[in-house]
Amino acid sequence: MNDDTKKSGFDLEKILGERISRRDLFLRGGAAGAIIGLGPLLAACSSDSTTTTGGATSTTAEAKRGGNLRIGLVGGGAQDTADPHMSSFIPDDAINWCLFEGLLQYSPDYTPEYLLAEDVSPNEDATVWTAKIKADITWHDGKPLTADDVVFSFKRIVDEANPLLGAAALGGLKPENIVKVDDMTVTFTFDEPNVTFRTDALTQRLVHVVPVGFDPANPIGTGPFKMQSFKPGEGFVLEANADYHGGAPYLDTLTFTEFEDPTARVNALLSGAVDAICELPPSQLPVIEATEGLVPLNSKSGGWVPFCMNLDVKPFDDVRVRQAFRLIVDRQQILDNAYSGVGWIGNDMYSPFDKGYPSDLPQRAQDIEKAKALLAEAGYADGLTVDLVTSDAVGNGAVAQAEIFAEQAKAAGVTVNVQKVDSAVIYGDDYLTWGFSCDYWGLRNYLQQAAAGSTPDAPYNETHWKNDEWYALVQEAMQTADDAKRNDLIRQAATIEYNEGGYIIPTFKNQLDAYSDKLVGIEQNEVIGIPLGRWRLHTVYFK
Amino acid sequence: MPPLLKIILRRALLGLLTLLLVSVVVFAATQALPSDTARAILGRDATPERLAALREQLNLNRPAVVQYGSWLGGVVTGDLGDSLVAKQPVTQLLSGRVKNSAVLVSLAALISIPLALVFGSLSGLLRDRGFDTAVSLGSLTLAALPEFVVGIILVLLFATQVFHLFPAVTLLNPNASIFGQLKMLVLPSMTLVLAVAPYIVRTLRASMIEVLESDYIQMARLKGMPERTVLGRHALPNAIVPAIQVIALNLAWLAGGVVVVEYLFNYPGIGSALMDAVSNRDLPVIQAITLLIAGLYVIFNLTADILTILVSPRLRTGLQ
Repeated sequence: MNDDTKKSGFDLEKILGERISRRDLFLRGGAAGAIIGLGPLLAACSSDSTTTTGGATSTTAEAKRGGNLRIGLVGGGAQDTADPHMSSFIPDDAINWCLFEGLLQYSPDYTPEYLLAEDVSPNEDATVWTAKIKADITWHDGKPLTADDVVFSFKRIVDEANPLLGAAALGGLKPENIVKVDDMTVTFTFDEPNVTFRTDALTQRLVHVVPVGFDPANPIGTGPFKMQSFKPGEGFVLEANADYHGGAPYLDTLTFTEFEDPTARVNALLSGAVDAICELPPSQLPVIEATEGLVPLNSKSGGWVPFCMNLDVKPFDDVRVRQAFRLIVDRQQILDNAYSGVGWIGNDMYSPFDKGYPSDLPQRAQDIEKAKALLAEAGYADGLTVDLVTSDAVGNGAVAQAEIFAEQAKAAGVTVNVQKVDSAVIYGDDYLTWGFSCDYWGLRNYLQQAAAGSTPDAPYNETHWKNDEWYALVQEAMQTADDAKRNDLIRQAATIEYNEGGYIIPTFKNQLDAYSDKLVGIEQNEVIGIPLGRWRLHTVYFK
Repeated sequence: MPPLLKIILRRALLGLLTLLLVSVVVFAATQALPSDTARAILGRDATPERLAALREQLNLNRPAVVQYGSWLGGVVTGDLGDSLVAKQPVTQLLSGRVKNSAVLVSLAALISIPLALVFGSLSGLLRDRGFDTAVSLGSLTLAALPEFVVGIILVLLFATQVFHLFPAVTLLNPNASIFGQLKMLVLPSMTLVLAVAPYIVRTLRASMIEVLESDYIQMARLKGMPERTVLGRHALPNAIVPAIQVIALNLAWLAGGVVVVEYLFNYPGIGSALMDAVSNRDLPVIQAITLLIAGLYVIFNLTADILTILVSPRLRTGLQ
């Protein structure tokens, strides 16, 4: 299953580079994956995948009940929260996915499917969306799920006095425009058409549904697991929700432990102290592969670590400099050396799984001569010096990637001073105004990503990208309900960014986890990494 | 007032002054760090409005001197304040972790000190013999290695690669007593023992050799005293004096050095709490932990000085 993974390269990653920053996970909201038949539910097609489960062919009949699954997580800290609308770090995220659910979720083949809702439909111009909730879904305390809960949840998220993290996904939804129609129906009314509300917004984990009067200290959800105990910064224990509407989990409990140090996390798995870990450092992949009884979970994903060139800052105000910098990058070298080959090459455009992504544009490759010529045209024939801000807080590989780029830039006469700072600085007062910096984004579809990072009013427009022609295309796409027409508009917009944009996107990351082959049913994501099979662990059992 | 008590009192007051200075330095250092708690908590999601609201809520808008004053006022009345991030009292947040670290450090001390005393004095007695050479080689090698290297080697050896005897990480069950889970503590405490013991061994060996060559030992032997009395009554008590100081310094080091070892083994003690607090700029927690470590330094040094006075006849009589 990991044939496409190159294992070449050496470890340049910094040990501390693991802490995933807030938006990283926020942006993973639109995540999805593809099950390669490991789950008991898909046992019928599991013959191809027997190698990944250590030779076990699983059938539902064999599924064993009981047991405690121990999982090693990337550490959060004292600020860990069980509030699904404030999920920031990986521990928050794991709690969120196990305890709570949304109106929709992405199915493993990256199509939105209904979860708590049985139908969500727009009016003609996509300004009013009507959601119908499934009957017979109960909360962990036994109460039924109703429209009141849905209205409460969304009002809680977009509360004007204290908007929660999910508000960004909901495109200016006003609290008074979330209305209960009857016990099972809610309408959402927007000022402007919002064609991607159902597919791109309602699938995000930051808009999961909570019960009326929700208290994060007593996190009651509809998910397959319930909270048993929680120690922020250390770990938490979840227990099976026997009444789960998707079928009772096989496991009795999940015990999560948080690890500051990636090495300790890997050691925990190697020594059998935990059964599974999320975020295996790519450099450790050969170790896992060489260890009997352990299986890596290597999934292609849409997470990306761009170099962000700020169009308002010299020299990046000149499009020729941006083009030159994009030609300086040797993408394969970054992939091999900063990410141990675990990932795939990018082409300076985001949202590679969007139906409108222009995959036929030529793959950009290193061309130092052309880069030099462009720099000379821009008036930098005698060389150029820039500062590049990066941080371990951006994620695994971000610092190494910057250092490699600095080396590559020398050939074109560009001196890059890499400035390594800590989390509180890179995302501090200068965040979004750095001239040249690294950042991390998870996968989102094109219009959601543009609204978050590229439109003039985007909250995270770090490249200060503004282009009237592009913006007109994006606005039109946002209001175009016809899929083919919208995809064509997206294609045109992405092409403009491909030619003139402020991002350099050398690679996309893979989601890399590992687990013991005693476990059966961990889903393989093929599109984007939410760790360990989207945390959908109710179908997992011990052999 | 007995002279010894006077010394203790004076030293205790000086210790308090040290702690006060430490708290000023730590406070100033935290202020000098770029960014602040509100920024660290909100991260990328910081909008100017949310930042302003949170700074107001956390009282970060007050002048630095006022902030320090109000924190100090709390400490004097026994209130260490609330964690800015976890929003609960520091004492409540740290009590479990302080206990865990204390168990680990005490275990390491209880094993390393007697062990080092035996090896050190035997080494001195058997100077230049095979045993001494072996101990010297071992202790010099260990002293040269940073403790995290020692820890990684132990993990490779006993947990992941060669043998699978002990857990590589510490997954304490918070609902059970730590003493029922001693297996978890084997590798972390062994790392600390190996980090601390070599210094004590080296010191004791050197002072043992020095004492054995001294005139009064020769005199005792010439008088025909049994060798056991020579060693037990005359040599050891004198040789141990320099070792007391080294042990105290090492105990104090343990209290702070435990941070690295805790990180390595994912041990839920004050070390990881301190790292978390620094990255979050959570001042009350940083202050509480650094004061605890500084306090232990003061106490261990004071204890060592008093012990030194008590076991050295010259100093003891000098007091009268």
